Amino acid sequence: MARLPDEDSLVRSHPRSTLDNVPSEGRAASAANDVPSGIGPLALLGACLLPVLGAFAIHAAHVGLWGVGAELLALGWLARDPRGSLKLLAFGILAAISIAVSTYLYGGRHLDESAAAALRIMYIVLPSALLTPVIRPAELGDHLAQRLHLPARPVVAAVVALQRIDSIGEQWRQVQQARRARGLGLDGGVARRFKGSASTAFAVLVVAMRHTGSTAVAMDARGFGAATARTWAGPAPWRWGDSLVLCLGIGLALLPWLM
Amino acid sequence: MATTRVTSPPTSSDRSPGSWRTIELLTAAVIGVVFGLVYWAYSSSYTALPGLKAISGPFVGLINGPWLIAGVVAGLVVRRVGAAFFAEVLAAVVSTLLGTEWGWATVISGVVQGAGAELAFAIFLFRRFTWPVAALSGALAAVGGFCYEWFTWLPGLDLEYKLGYLGAFVLSGIVVAGLGGWALTAALARTGAIDALPAGREAAHRNAV
Repeated sequence: MARLPDEDSLVRSHPRSTLDNVPSEGRAASAANDVPSGIGPLALLGACLLPVLGAFAIHAAHVGLWGVGAELLALGWLARDPRGSLKLLAFGILAAISIAVSTYLYGGRHLDESAAAALRIMYIVLPSALLTPVIRPAELGDHLAQRLHLPARPVVAAVVALQRIDSIGEQWRQVQQARRARGLGLDGGVARRFKGSASTAFAVLVVAMRHTGSTAVAMDARGFGAATARTWAGPAPWRWGDSLVLCLGIGLALLPWLM
Repeated sequence: MATTRVTSPPTSSDRSPGSWRTIELLTAAVIGVVFGLVYWAYSSSYTALPGLKAISGPFVGLINGPWLIAGVVAGLVVRRVGAAFFAEVLAAVVSTLLGTEWGWATVISGVVQGAGAELAFAIFLFRRFTWPVAALSGALAAVGGFCYEWFTWLPGLDLEYKLGYLGAFVLSGIVVAGLGGWALTAALARTGAIDALPAGREAAHRNAV
């Protein structure tokens, strides 16, 4: 009997909503564009992770190109948040370019091999860029515990801590405002900025740790530690759409090995 | 002369290191989430330097240490079987949900790095939490991360590059995650924020007169 009040409504809000440098339009968009009907977070997660196995087999540029094209066809229809996806994709492209340059410089200056290195990274990153914006963290916890039967207590603890992201983000802003008021603002060189961020992070960590004591007592008072039956925020159904998406993921894991 | 009874600090042998109290679970989880935010912030600045990363050669491994710190800190603070692994994986999940350049592959890195960090504490049977153990934890986390990157990031690179990269990664893991994590844990204990945990109580006991 470890159901926490409002767990559902609290966790439903995407943690990204808390962070000031993520544009709020992105949040609105991901909230408005719902998860593709009938597809749960585990299948989406599988579709993000399984292609990594396929990436191990990408050692030539043409394999990578066909692979990335296949990924777009197989998973593109599931994307719902173009802004969010494009942003993640831009990060991924930068990473891919960077690895291509180092592979060229420090790997014998083979163009094909360098392009393959970039496409290997794209093959890993593309599914996540398409699908991460539609994965709901709260549902993920429910599904991990009820479908995959991961140990319940760590999963709940992780979900509880994830809910804390909102207040941690708020805490971060408050500490920074206090530092600014004391003349310890974030201006100055890279080293000072880094030092400022590090001490802010430390203060936030201390505050978060102090909270855990009372949260733990509250949870144990509701039987969290000694529960024999546990209730969850929501059901975790597995539908045909999940099977389809998982099969697509398996296909993408196999494809580069077969080419 | 009056005598007072001083309660000795509880040691990890008081109960099996595999049994978790709720506060320990939550502490590990909170460490994971806070470092997930830190990782995400770090990855944003990291992404801004692709050119530098590309040409700096194997030395690029030197900037990898911060990715390993959640596991070391959770292992030192919580002292339970799986604490380092749990926090490192959760930190990876959180940073992925916020958006990193590697997508969910970040979580694979989290798993192998967390396993490496965990291994160091396991070698000492979850009984020793000194700075050399922390340094070993950081080093093994780096080795874990390297094993995964061998198959994804490093194919096509010269062997010398790979070995140099491993060395830089491990060095960064020892200094930033290991010794840095140990110093961070000591600083946390001094604030009293982890007094409910053995790591905090030991520090309180040491400082008691």
